[in-house]
Amino acid sequence: MTDLAGLWRHTPRLTVLAMAVLLIAGGMMALASETAYREEKVGDVEVQTRILAATVTAALSFNDRTTAGEYLTALSANPEFEAAGVYDGSGGLFATYTAPGMQPVPPVAESPGHHFDDDTLTVSVPVTQDGHRIGSVSLRTELEPFARRAERYVGMALLLAMTVLIVLVLGAAQAALARANRDLAERARDLSGANQALNAEIAERERVEAALRQSQKMEAMGQLTGGIAHDFNNLLQALSSCLQLVGRRAKEPSIQPLLETGQQAIDRGAKLVQQLMAFARHQTLRPEPMDVRDRLLGMADLLTRAIRADITLETSVEPGLWPVEVDPTQFELAILNLTVNARDAMPDGGRLRIIACNRPAEGKGADLVQVTVSDTGTGMEDEVKARVFEPFFTTKEVGKGSGLGLAQVYGFTRQSSGRVEIDSAPGRGTAVSLFLPRTAKPVVAPAGERASDTARTSGRRLLLVEDDPIVGSMVAAALDEIGYAVLRAANAEEALELLSDVKLRIDILFSDVVMPGRMNGVDLAHAARRLRPGLPVVLTTGYSEDVARIEGVRVLPKPYRVGTLAELLDVALAADGAAHPAA
Amino acid sequence: MVERLPNRCVFLLALLLACGPASLATAAEPLEAAVKATFLYKFIAFVSWPQSAFAADGPFRICVAGPDPFGELLDRAVAGQSAGGRPIELWRRPQFDRGAGCHLLYGTGSQDGLRGEPVLTVSDADAPGGPMAGAVVTFVLQDDRVRFAIDASAARDNHLGISSKLMSLAVRQ
Repeated sequence: MTDLAGLWRHTPRLTVLAMAVLLIAGGMMALASETAYREEKVGDVEVQTRILAATVTAALSFNDRTTAGEYLTALSANPEFEAAGVYDGSGGLFATYTAPGMQPVPPVAESPGHHFDDDTLTVSVPVTQDGHRIGSVSLRTELEPFARRAERYVGMALLLAMTVLIVLVLGAAQAALARANRDLAERARDLSGANQALNAEIAERERVEAALRQSQKMEAMGQLTGGIAHDFNNLLQALSSCLQLVGRRAKEPSIQPLLETGQQAIDRGAKLVQQLMAFARHQTLRPEPMDVRDRLLGMADLLTRAIRADITLETSVEPGLWPVEVDPTQFELAILNLTVNARDAMPDGGRLRIIACNRPAEGKGADLVQVTVSDTGTGMEDEVKARVFEPFFTTKEVGKGSGLGLAQVYGFTRQSSGRVEIDSAPGRGTAVSLFLPRTAKPVVAPAGERASDTARTSGRRLLLVEDDPIVGSMVAAALDEIGYAVLRAANAEEALELLSDVKLRIDILFSDVVMPGRMNGVDLAHAARRLRPGLPVVLTTGYSEDVARIEGVRVLPKPYRVGTLAELLDVALAADGAAHPAA
Repeated sequence: MVERLPNRCVFLLALLLACGPASLATAAEPLEAAVKATFLYKFIAFVSWPQSAFAADGPFRICVAGPDPFGELLDRAVAGQSAGGRPIELWRRPQFDRGAGCHLLYGTGSQDGLRGEPVLTVSDADAPGGPMAGAVVTFVLQDDRVRFAIDASAARDNHLGISSKLMSLAVRQ
């Protein structure tokens, strides 16, 4: 292949060489042919002249000029003969013939032999009679004109012409081919470039379209959930009003617990509706200028409790972080939601990292503050990633998640004129970033100091059992505020483990009733009383009918206020603690 | 001076000049005779005789029968010449008979005796004695030029071969 290509590359040179050889050969052949032609012509004419000489012998001998002239005139049959002359023994012109328009022969005999002059050949031979020279004959013929001779070389000329033509055609073809190749290569490059540009554009468009679709979907879902939530809120409000009216008019005491239950259900519904509203960005926000750093640091305890012991929390806040204007409660809820998700994504432990930093404006955009919550967990597939912000979408077991956590994050951020970005891949963990617009308003110092009425409860150790981390964290934070040292357990089993540790001091147990696992709060209360008799126990539940009457166990109905809880805890401690000071 | 000469004389003069050594005469009659004398000799080259006509190494005989119109002219014409390698002899007699050994005979009047012999008989149409009957070659004057006629049948009878070249020069009778 390369040999052939190399040969082809040399073709023009080879062809030129071949043409040169052909030209030289042709020239030599023409020369040889010309020489041969001349020799042949001389032979021919000499024979003619000798015949003529033999013929005119008698006429010359007998001075018959007429006959000699006739003989010569006979030459006119051949147009090649231009002139002929018969000379007598003394060299004088005896008889002559001249073709029309031609030069006559010279008047004096020429010496025997032949000579060429300008396309003519003159042959002179002696006329002899019995060995005696009695005169001479000269015959002049025209040589074939060069054009006529050239005609005989027409084949060769044609060959040469063809060769030249081939060379030209080959050269032209070669040049055209090279040019075509160049054009083709250029076009291929252009095409490839265009293709790349097209592919990039297609990818970009697909990305934009996907984003648009996602955005439209979220928008539609937001409108839908917003509408539903609004209607439901009204219904719940109406229902709540009805129940209150019923409560006022009903004299039957047994009807009160039923009303209470109904009210609790309404409250739960209202809470759900609240979350839906948050996603749909229809919730009522009370934005205020706030320092993300303060908020995050303030949440540190809360977050530490929300995560498990096998998860390390790292918080990193850029110095000089800009303030943002958002609803602080919703912001904390969003961070808490992300933290809980991160914890659940790391069943085998890992590292949770919260980073806050400034993002100066790029181009026309505004200055932003980025808050990223990242984990080293399982990560998620693209299909999951595309849907995580949808309300009620959850990958958690039934009962473990409402599917509204990220929806709240999404709704809150969007309603705060920010945006959410999620970066995740299976096995690589997940990072959710909130981008919140910077505010120029000054941050007002947090109004109102926390209640410092901690003297009473100072040093009391409380075991909090709550499966819902958010609720647990909130409650733990609240208890912490009022002076309790809070131990936390996510379920009955964990709580029992702690209770079994005799060296661990626990002053009071506060547990939810409905919990995942084999044991519920009531079972835990029984077990706790067996393990540590006299231990004050407070249970809380939204379903009061589930709670059996247990001695020494107080029940706090949900939803409760922190104040109510504190009071109940005080009462329990005062009663049981006094009864069993040794515990 | 030349222009004043009669046409015939001018022509003959030209002829004689062309014929080289034989042209020395200055008058018309001798000129004509000289031409004829030269012709006699020149005929030899264009005629072939049977081999039997010659004796081994024998000469070629030119005979002049009867009146001799050539005189010395003929002697001069053949002087130093040969005929096919044979020396030329000139015989002058009133009459030649059969078997006389002549190869070429010029004569006038009747020379019947030689018919059938290998002899080239030459006569002259303008001879005072009249042309020889049956002569193979007969001189004639045509357009003031000495020409000759050839009797082919007579030549055949005399076993002579006449060159076609010579025949082509002969005038039609």
